[in-house]
Amino acid sequence: MATDPAVRTVTLTIDGRAVTVPPGTTVYQAARAAGIEIPIFCYHDRMPPLGACRMCLVKVDRMGKLQTSCTLPAADGMVVSTTDPEVVAGQEAILEFLLINHPLDCPICDKGGECPLQDQTFRWGPGRSRFVEAKRDFAKPVSLGPVLTLDRERCILCWRCVRFGEIIAGDDALKGFERGFTSEINTPFTLPVESKFIGNTIAICPVGALTSRTYRFRARPWDNEPVPSTCTHCGLGCAVWFDVRGGEIVRTRAREAPAVNDIWLCDLGFFGHDYVASGERLTAPLVRRDGRLTQASWEEALDLVASRLRAARDRAPGRVAFLGGRRLSNEDALVAARLFGEVIGTPHRDHRVDAPPGGASLEVAWGLRAPLEEIARGDVFLLVGCDVTEEYPILWLRMKAAVDRGAALLLLHARRLEVRRHARWERLVRADRLAAETGALADALERGAAGPPPGLEAAVAAIAAGRRVHVVVGRFALDGPGGSAVLAAAVRIAEHSGGVLHVARGKGNDIGAQRFGLLPGAGGWPAPEILRRAAAGDLDVLYVAGSDPATAVTDRSAWDAARRGVGFLVVHEAFLSATAEAADVVLPSLVLPEKDGTVTNLEGRTLPLRAAVRGPGAARGDREIFSLIAARLGALFTYGTGDELFEALRAATPGVEAGAILPVAPVPARLAGDVPAGAVAAGAGGGSAELILATIDHLFTQGATTGRCRGITALAGAPHCLIHPDDAARLGVEPGALVELATGHGAVVLQARVTDVTAPGQVLLPRGFDAVSAYALVRWPHAVVAVTVRPLVAAAAGGAP
Amino acid sequence: MAAVFRQTVAMLRGLLITGRYLFRRRVTAPYPDVKPPVAARFKGRHWLTLYADGLERCVGCELCVIVCPSQAIYVKAAENTPERQVSKGERHAEEFQINMLRCIFCGFCEEACPTGAIVLGHDYELAGYTRASMIYTKGMLTEPYPGASGRDPGREV
Ligand code: SF4
Ligand code: SF4
Ligand code: SF4
Ligand code: SF4
Ligand code: FES
Repeated sequence: MATDPAVRTVTLTIDGRAVTVPPGTTVYQAARAAGIEIPIFCYHDRMPPLGACRMCLVKVDRMGKLQTSCTLPAADGMVVSTTDPEVVAGQEAILEFLLINHPLDCPICDKGGECPLQDQTFRWGPGRSRFVEAKRDFAKPVSLGPVLTLDRERCILCWRCVRFGEIIAGDDALKGFERGFTSEINTPFTLPVESKFIGNTIAICPVGALTSRTYRFRARPWDNEPVPSTCTHCGLGCAVWFDVRGGEIVRTRAREAPAVNDIWLCDLGFFGHDYVASGERLTAPLVRRDGRLTQASWEEALDLVASRLRAARDRAPGRVAFLGGRRLSNEDALVAARLFGEVIGTPHRDHRVDAPPGGASLEVAWGLRAPLEEIARGDVFLLVGCDVTEEYPILWLRMKAAVDRGAALLLLHARRLEVRRHARWERLVRADRLAAETGALADALERGAAGPPPGLEAAVAAIAAGRRVHVVVGRFALDGPGGSAVLAAAVRIAEHSGGVLHVARGKGNDIGAQRFGLLPGAGGWPAPEILRRAAAGDLDVLYVAGSDPATAVTDRSAWDAARRGVGFLVVHEAFLSATAEAADVVLPSLVLPEKDGTVTNLEGRTLPLRAAVRGPGAARGDREIFSLIAARLGALFTYGTGDELFEALRAATPGVEAGAILPVAPVPARLAGDVPAGAVAAGAGGGSAELILATIDHLFTQGATTGRCRGITALAGAPHCLIHPDDAARLGVEPGALVELATGHGAVVLQARVTDVTAPGQVLLPRGFDAVSAYALVRWPHAVVAVTVRPLVAAAAGGAP
Repeated sequence: MAAVFRQTVAMLRGLLITGRYLFRRRVTAPYPDVKPPVAARFKGRHWLTLYADGLERCVGCELCVIVCPSQAIYVKAAENTPERQVSKGERHAEEFQINMLRCIFCGFCEEACPTGAIVLGHDYELAGYTRASMIYTKGMLTEPYPGASGRDPGREV
């Protein structure tokens, strides 16, 4: 039977079995679907076939030579053999060739025990080598940056890693160099590798050529107990395996989750677990005595906290406030909300510790308004003030897949994004122009035929033609100058295009905290107001859990004032953070990888947490601490098992199901802070300033947790700021030089990177470097901050550009 | 009467065997004053051997760990640095422990070892007063000088 388009299947015979598959299926895929194993190296089912390694040879009737099954489309009536003696000889020969230059150093190779080359040589290889000549000799190991190690001798040149960078991540982090015998994989210009996703190349390298620097020699696969859990860094909630050896997480691997991260992770996920095993973890409660924090028993600490809470409640419940939630599980958040809402009765609870007053972050619920899988089917992505790879890396992989299929990527930000070469339209504006520019785009769209202003044509055309438009508004836009106007304009754009508006805001389990009651109740104050009232002496007890306001509040002085003004500060912390140092009682708590329970990701999806390791010393889970305090206040929370707690979650919020999405509340059509487009009032304190300061997000930072992860700290590099070359020339700032950034409120000293990824007229300062806090320079309610830059010394020797 | 006769004969036959052995070579030894020799292939206490230059043979590959049927071995590997080159190549065993109470002296570890690092020697006097003392650590297992275990330190593997 000839191929009949109406039937739309092809039937072929593999090893005597009839296999029916859709047209376009390769012979390899057909065999796999039928449960027939064919060895592969270069083929990877998330990428198109390449045919580089020749491992997948099969014999096909009436075809003269052996064929590579990964590239061969199945055709009707094909008769394929995977076991023919000719195939066996071919497989042996290929393996013999692959091993000619292989160093055979499995005993010292980290891949040993989980290596496809090892396994396939064992199963399909010739068993003996005839090669006695000298092997190719490369210097090894080569360090390709802080987390990646390359062994060129082991590389079989399958190109998986190179193609991952081209096809999946779009960052071209690794490339092939030279030809033939001297071929090698390396980074362009042999610089440290630039990628947010390089851990994935380690995972898909079929040999031990690419290995992890942080996991190096720490364990064999058989030593590790894999624990399935969820990454809780950026808020997308990628599924992970924590590999545990000797009570310590030694590495993180991606766990397949088609709806969320597929099989990928970002490097923050891969290398962001060291902090759990840090020797600086708090192991016992601390109570302030005579001005110093000293160790105390749990009994003593809890009694003290309970008595202060009782006293404050008896005065007025509203004299207690709760801040935090990002680092709590859903269950913790629920119990916290019950303790403060029901038992104490205060409406002043907020997890949005890092939102400034007057910013749009306080106006809308945070979260994506469509599943990641739907975003992957989008045809227009407009990112407004959202640096997708720095904030939500895995979201970018979804967008990249869509962009490859022709979707338009439109960027509007105060910095050039790493993904800009995939963009159809890019607009770089100074931070205080973002609202006006977004408004102009909305206006142009609504005016339609009138013809868009110059520079906006491509964006307007793409959005007008789009049928599945996704507008993503990020933290930079929401909390920056005119955040409400940006949001209002974004709402108009989304409405006009019939698209979806996503509020890309929230890290860790912020969405879970938002969902399970860590938002202001009736008459409750949002976080900035809580701080203001604390400073004014309106609070007796400030209770902080799952947050580090001293470094997260975007005005350091507002936090300091709040601390001074409040009588009693209680903090749950894993480390002696800046907040803990200032507290009256510090209760040592577990971190999320040590907890059982659930978290909610940015889509509103409920995801499982499983305790990978036990906490240090006497540290306790947050929800246990809340329950113990509630008991002292006369309320017994009787949650026995995790299942009971999950039932309580479902009772609190109908629609919560494990693994399923419960959408975040929609963005209201008319927003409180709606400002007419184009009429953006520059915030006080610097409307006409020559140079303004804006804070940007980095994936790799040096905070309380990330600063305690070897790989992440190294990836983050030194604290720095970004200055445009024009400004640098005017101010005499050399690339890499130390500069002093000063505002009316403070000054910091850090390295200047001179680069045109920032717009002229502004200095971009990454947040998350606790040693150099941007928030010391900011004073609420100013959104636009004028800054002066003073070079301190000429470029430090060896200072990175 | 007949019974008495039968019993006497049986006793004399027994004594005859005793008498015969009285003049044979002794097979028992007054241990511990005299230690019986063992066969060359005897498998006793392990040694971690050294190359002639003093570098450790063990590269911390954990093949002995995975092959050991009684899960007696624990190895934690680490990286060699130019300042601290413990073995040849990139990797060495930072920690190496054998639980002698679990070991069944099968010799699989010696068989699996790719570098000939671990060998079972001839020492069988392995008693201790505590369980903890029966966990032999790397310091106890490493031969005191190249060749001390009897293994030729010049051998490649
Ligand atoms: S480094 Fe690994 S993934 Fe990359 S080409 Fe070599 S073998 Fe393939
Ligand atoms: S994208 Fe986010 S959730 Fe996923 S691994 Fe990275 S930090 Fe973790
Ligand atoms: S001799 Fe056998 S039981 Fe003893 S450590 Fe070696 S492999 Fe294990
Ligand atoms: S003794 Fe041999 S098998 Fe065991 S870890 Fe050392 S090198 Fe590997
Ligand atoms: S898997 Fe088919 S050629 Fe590599």
